Order: sequence, then structure tokens, then C-alpha cells
Amino acid sequence: MTGIQSSTTARLRLAGGALVIAGIWGVILPRMLEWGPVAQHVKLMEERRVDPSAMYYTELERLPLRPEWVDRVLVLWP
Amino acid sequence: MVKTGWHEDLAAVAIGMAVVILALAVTWQARPLADAGSRAAHPKGWSTPLAQTVGSPKAWAAAPLDAFRDKQGGIDLPPILLGMGWVVLIGAAGTLLAGRRVGAVLPGLVVLALMACFASVLAAQKTVKFYNLEYPLWALAVGLFIGNAAGVPRWLTPALMGEFFIKTGLVIFGAEVLVSRLLALGLPGLMTAWIVTPIVLVATYLFGVHGLKISSRSLCMTLSADMSVCGVSAAIATGAACKATKEELSLTIGLSLFFTVIMMVVMPPVIQAMGLDPLVGGAWLGGTIDATGAVVAAGESLGREAGEVAATVKMIQNSMIGLIAFAVAVYWSGWVDREAGGPRGSLLGEAWRRFPRFILGFLAASLVCSWLHSLGAAQALWVEGATSGFTAKLRGWLFCAGFVCMGLQTNFRQLAPVLASGRPVLLYVLGQSLNLVLTLAMASLTFGWLFRRVVEP
Repeated sequence: MTGIQSSTTARLRLAGGALVIAGIWGVILPRMLEWGPVAQHVKLMEERRVDPSAMYYTELERLPLRPEWVDRVLVLWP
Repeated sequence: MVKTGWHEDLAAVAIGMAVVILALAVTWQARPLADAGSRAAHPKGWSTPLAQTVGSPKAWAAAPLDAFRDKQGGIDLPPILLGMGWVVLIGAAGTLLAGRRVGAVLPGLVVLALMACFASVLAAQKTVKFYNLEYPLWALAVGLFIGNAAGVPRWLTPALMGEFFIKTGLVIFGAEVLVSRLLALGLPGLMTAWIVTPIVLVATYLFGVHGLKISSRSLCMTLSADMSVCGVSAAIATGAACKATKEELSLTIGLSLFFTVIMMVVMPPVIQAMGLDPLVGGAWLGGTIDATGAVVAAGESLGREAGEVAATVKMIQNSMIGLIAFAVAVYWSGWVDREAGGPRGSLLGEAWRRFPRFILGFLAASLVCSWLHSLGAAQALWVEGATSGFTAKLRGWLFCAGFVCMGLQTNFRQLAPVLASGRPVLLYVLGQSLNLVLTLAMASLTFGWLFRRVVEP
């Protein structure tokens, strides 16, 4: 995207967009948090300290380490 | 970006490696005097003083201002301002190395850092965050919205160094790609991640190019890597390696996050309905859902056991990024670009001439940190502390700034014909279906049968 729109059009578009963002992030998304399945999912994730938005394992609150019980169930290197 | 001075790739490698060395040096300097090798004492590695210099907006529910509050409820702006400061500093250093005047770029860099911060606040809202709609999506959206609504002012243009930010972020990211993690789940984990992933990657790419006849090979490769390896981080690395356009990377990330949310919600109940063993179910989740955080979320909703296996299988896949990005860069510079035209010399000479040099920085950071990590328990905690505490957050800021730049410069009209054909969506769906079938078969074979210990009654 290049070039600048005329200042009035640009301001109107920016203001309209800002209103939409304010409406979604200020009203709709917070309301969704109170809705049963969403509230349940968020509560479970917070209780277990899981960050579903982690892009890579280093961003997780708990680093994945091989659980001890795996050794009892699996033959790792036969 | 470059007029005179250093090539963009070289600048990205120099700055990225300097950041990695700084992180390791400062963390070593502040090493704990007691229990340096104890994971119980340092579960996420040694704490690093640099962690205080790079914060990001916290999760918030209804009041956006909560994104800037600490655990005690007070406003805690300095770490976030410093995070934005790193974006400005690294952008200024890149400008300087490229031989351009820093003064002309500085105001644009400050505004870019503010936009990145705004995108991070949008991504930190809990509904968004807990359904895996990661910050790159919002960074792209912020850039697209501002670029299309108001245009890009002339003074901002020199600061739009999206590729430079992404490349520098990738070199720093290399420090997190630890090869030693590949062995975390032994042979069953290796087989699930290493046999299925390359098959799905290559099959999806070839089907996109030859079956669906998608004209852009780089779109097919980025989409295939994103879907078969580990989502957005793999898309960024391979997209840079095969020189995908901004539009192609944006489309891939959008598609990936859309399907990741669906799979994160749908797969756990499907696994329960199928009555799969938690080990097999966890491995299936880890091998198929794109994004790391979404894998853990889906696994945890199945139970602790499935969650742990899912996270570990994903981590093994995560560790493949370096090798895959390198292989893609070699294939692209040696074959795809070569076929595209231009004077032909020897295969090696041509490949080297076209090879994206920053990939070497990415690999070097990965190999050096993997080697350090393998030296012993204390060294492992040293590397983990430096990466989890500092470099992971810093490259997050750089990727975010890079995606804002991409959004500002993206012209989706160029992709309209490809999108209208629906072929990228079809490619993703078919590739992911193959991934689901093969991973389930391999997880059942390895985790469910072949390497299953016979438990004595």
C-alpha cells in the first residue's frame, strides 16, 4: 500500500476503523469471555498455566520436558 | 532497504548474533552461585537481568489498560517501553549498517514500535489470546488497516524495513532452535515427527505445484511448511528462505491460524469419541496442530498425560525448523531460482550466489546454542534462561514490527486471483488431511504398539 489518501477521507476511515476496533475489543470480546464454553476454556488454560498463543515452545510458561511416566510406558530406545 | 553499506542479510546476521552473544554473556555474568545445574531451582533456566529490558503487554479481559499492569495491579510501563526501544535501536543499527542516515528514519521507527505495541495489546485480549489468534495476525491487520485507510506517509516509508526485522528476528530465533530437543521422546517421537513431517511437506508442495497448478511455488512451500512443521514460526522461516512475498506470507498465516483454532477446539472431543490412548492422542495432536500453544491447549483439555506428550512431540517438530529452512534455501537457490532464468553457471556457484545468507546466521545461532546446551545441566539452564528470558521476547517484538511493516506494504489485490480460485485453501485442507491420516497411523504404530512397554501385571 502506498500513497496517502486525502486528509478528510483518511481521517474518516481511521475514525470509523477505530470505532469498529473499540466495539470489538471493548464490548464483544469481553462479553464472549463470559459465555459458557469460552469461559470454561479460558479458566482451564489459566489454571494449567497454558498460553495457547505461544508461537514456539520457549514461549510456554512450562518448558516441555519428557514426563517421567513416559519411561514406564514406552521403550524409548529399544 | 540497502543503498550503500552492508547487505541487508549481513546486517541482520551481525545484529542478530550480537544480540545472542549479549544475551548469553549477561546471563552468564549473573549466573546463580548455588544450584546452577538444578532444574528444580531454575525450571525455566537461569534468570537473566536482560528480562527486565523487554516486556510485552499482559493478558487482559475487559480493560485494555490492564495490559500494562504488573501482578500487583500497578502500571508497569518501563519493560514495554524498553521492548519498543529495542525495535527502534535495532532498526537504527540496521539503517546505520546499510549506510543510510539514522535521523531520517528515527521518527518512523518510533511510530512503527507504537503500532507493534498496539497490535500486541489487541493480541493480549483473553478471548483472542486463549484461542491462539497470535500477534502476527493483528500486526498484519493493524498495518493493513492503517495502510489502506490512510496510506503511508512519506516520512514513515524509510522505516518500513519489514524484511530486515524478520531476518534479524530469525537469526535471534535460531538460539531457541535446540537440536538436542529432537531426542526428547526417543525413537517413537523421532519417528512420528521426522518420518511424517517431511513426507507431508514434500507431498503437499508437489501437489500444490503440479496437481493444483498454483503458479507461485513459494506460496506452496510456505503453506506446506506452515501446515506440516509448526505453524507461523515455520512459515516465517521457510517463507524467508524461499523468498515468499509479503502477500503470500500474510495469506499463509491467516489460513494457518483459522484452521488451527478449529483443530484446537475440534480434535480433543474427536479423540475422546474415538477412545484413543492418551499417548497416541497426544502424539496425534502434537504432530498435526500447527501452532505450539494450540497443541498444548488441546492436549491439556484431554488431560495432563496427553498434554505432556503433545507438547513434547511439538517441541521435536519445532526443532526441525532450522534444518528445513536450510534445505528449502538450498533447494530454492540451487533449483527453483535457477530454473526461473538468468545466466547459468555451475550449480554450486549459482546456489551460493542466490543463497539467503541470513539463514547461515540462523543456523549458526542454533548450532552454537545447541552445543552449549548439550555440555551439561548448568549450561542447558544457561541457554534456556538467556532464550526464554530475553531473546524469545525480543524476537517477538521484531517479528511484530516486521508484520506491521508487511501489512502497511501489502497489496492484497495481487493475490486476489489466487484467492478467488480457492486453491490455497484446498491445498491446506488436503495437505492437513494427509497429515492427520499419516500422523495417526505413525502415532498408533510407535506410541501405541511398536515401542509400548509390556506392563507386567
